[in-house]
Amino acid sequence: MSDPVIQIRGLRKMYGPHTALDGVDLDIGTGGIGILGPNGSGKSTLFKCILGLIRITEGGGTVLGKDIVTMGPQIRSSIGYMAEYDSLDPGLTAVDHVRYAGELLGMRPDQATQRAHEVLQYVGLEDQRYRTIDSFSTGMRQATKLACAIVHDPQILFCDEPTNGLDSSARQFMLDTLRRTISDGGGTVIMTSHVMEDIQGVCERVVMLSGGKIVLEGRIDELARQITREIEISVWGGATKLEEWLLTRGHRVRRMGRIMRVEMNGDETISAILLGASETNAQVRVLKEYEPDLEDIFLLIMQRLGKEAKGASAIIGGRE
Amino acid sequence: MIESDGTASLGEARIEAAYGSGDGDDTSSATVARPMEGKIFEQIYRPWNGPLGPRWVRNYAIYRHHVYGIVSGSGHRRYHPFVRLLLLVVILGSMTPILMLLLSTLVSDDATGFLNRMWGVNRYNLWGNVLGYFPRNLCMWPLLTALVVGGLISDDRRNGTSAIYFSRPVSRLDYAAMKWLSAASVLAIVILLTYMMYYSAAVVFKGEGWSYIADTLPIFIGGLLAGIFLVFTYTSIGIALSSISTSRFTASISFLGYILGSKLIAWLIEIQFNTTYVYMVSPYDCLAHVGQWLVGLPSNYDHPLALSVISLVAMNAASLAIFASRVASLEVTRE
Repeated sequence: MSDPVIQIRGLRKMYGPHTALDGVDLDIGTGGIGILGPNGSGKSTLFKCILGLIRITEGGGTVLGKDIVTMGPQIRSSIGYMAEYDSLDPGLTAVDHVRYAGELLGMRPDQATQRAHEVLQYVGLEDQRYRTIDSFSTGMRQATKLACAIVHDPQILFCDEPTNGLDSSARQFMLDTLRRTISDGGGTVIMTSHVMEDIQGVCERVVMLSGGKIVLEGRIDELARQITREIEISVWGGATKLEEWLLTRGHRVRRMGRIMRVEMNGDETISAILLGASETNAQVRVLKEYEPDLEDIFLLIMQRLGKEAKGASAIIGGRE
Repeated sequence: MIESDGTASLGEARIEAAYGSGDGDDTSSATVARPMEGKIFEQIYRPWNGPLGPRWVRNYAIYRHHVYGIVSGSGHRRYHPFVRLLLLVVILGSMTPILMLLLSTLVSDDATGFLNRMWGVNRYNLWGNVLGYFPRNLCMWPLLTALVVGGLISDDRRNGTSAIYFSRPVSRLDYAAMKWLSAASVLAIVILLTYMMYYSAAVVFKGEGWSYIADTLPIFIGGLLAGIFLVFTYTSIGIALSSISTSRFTASISFLGYILGSKLIAWLIEIQFNTTYVYMVSPYDCLAHVGQWLVGLPSNYDHPLALSVISLVAMNAASLAIFASRVASLEVTRE
């Protein structure tokens, strides 16, 4: 990881008796970082703490070398925040809205106007920039929110569910734009999403929160490698018999209709599958090694975590 | 002179010299833009490294956004054309005494005559320019406040636009102060500026001297203070109601209901039970009571002035407390 732009140490935040964040230690460098976690896991609270918006109960940290406890306004000058929910004035045109967002950061009106045109071109709204927000589609609204967030070319960009409500082409454009922002802007994009594919498409690293604690942190490809490998087979006819055959011989099988995933134990697994198929007369049409994605990691962690947050490295290794 | 090679005689050499045509035109080809497959435009990330202004620049941006929207058709907060029209009507309406003052000056020289008493500068007219009930405090000021202040915070709550403030280096204090100040400025421009124009017009039209100004200035300042209290109180109540709602209509109608309703109830109780104490719940009457004392007029109310002052302070304190508490609860991550 490159030099951390965000360093959090022992961060604890309590709302009355409820612990929202419990001793969070986190280092975030440049590039794309996905923040994952179920509802109530502390993602929003972590964002608020990093933005210097709420008082921290214990611990602290820095964002771009600025203290999150005492330098909230300075931090917010250097970062961009794209809110999950609609945060646009429907009566303003896109260019006026982005310009106002720039002025709220302290830009001069002429600078903010020029910059508004530049970033609206970047997010694909050049031809629509004089239309009022209330005439915009969801995709155009999301793009306007992104334009507002990057108007001052921030070093860190927070995106809360950037693909929320977008159709496939708009979603792809948004993800491409975020990727380009990381590669061309050279900064950090911190993103939350319930769509794992989106996180995987933009981010190299992931941080997973549960119950106010970080349960997993690392590069997505490295994490995927740590997951127990599986053989995926597509079975037509005799799938149930084959599943039973494999289970009785001690293999771990996950079945989703015609698709079965069998935990791999060396080359013997493939031999066992082929033998089982032969004995149960099952038609195995496809046999391949399954490539686990972020969703698998997330589901596996959440399934095995239960209510108690354990050490993530032990969990993803499949050795509970 | 004709060139020996004969090209000049055809006129081609001059064209070539002027426009460079003819040389290789047949072999060259035009450069035509070819869109890349799958790309509808060229996406270029342009870095920016400009300076960001200090706190006052950001605060002034909030103030300007709300105040300029009244007169500017685009680029700032959008006010409905009806609101702008009403604002114009209210301004013109509040300036009618100036016109009448001019007429009275033109038709009469008598300083103690009827027209002068009716429209000239005196305690009653200075008080009435700000605190007269009809039409100003029945129709004009409450409606103006309701329309200007109604959507100030409620729109942010409804649209989630508070996030664009608080995710930037704008503190809640700055946000609240600038919103309050911008609303108060619009009211002050209409209420106080026209009041000052009226007084200035009286001095100019009648060609009054320093002694006149020395005589009337304390009364004028008394009326000005009463106007400031009115702007302060109406803005505070209006913005508090706006901050507890997500609908500008609800906020506006609540404000009108409170200002006019409390006055009506107090009036009904007065005629039924012959007591003015209930006027303490009416912001207008508390302001009128204090205004009468400031301008030096006999009071219309039986209850002590101190009670009206206490009531005014309590109303403003409660309004500002509600406003502060609601602004503190505005969310960045979600509303």
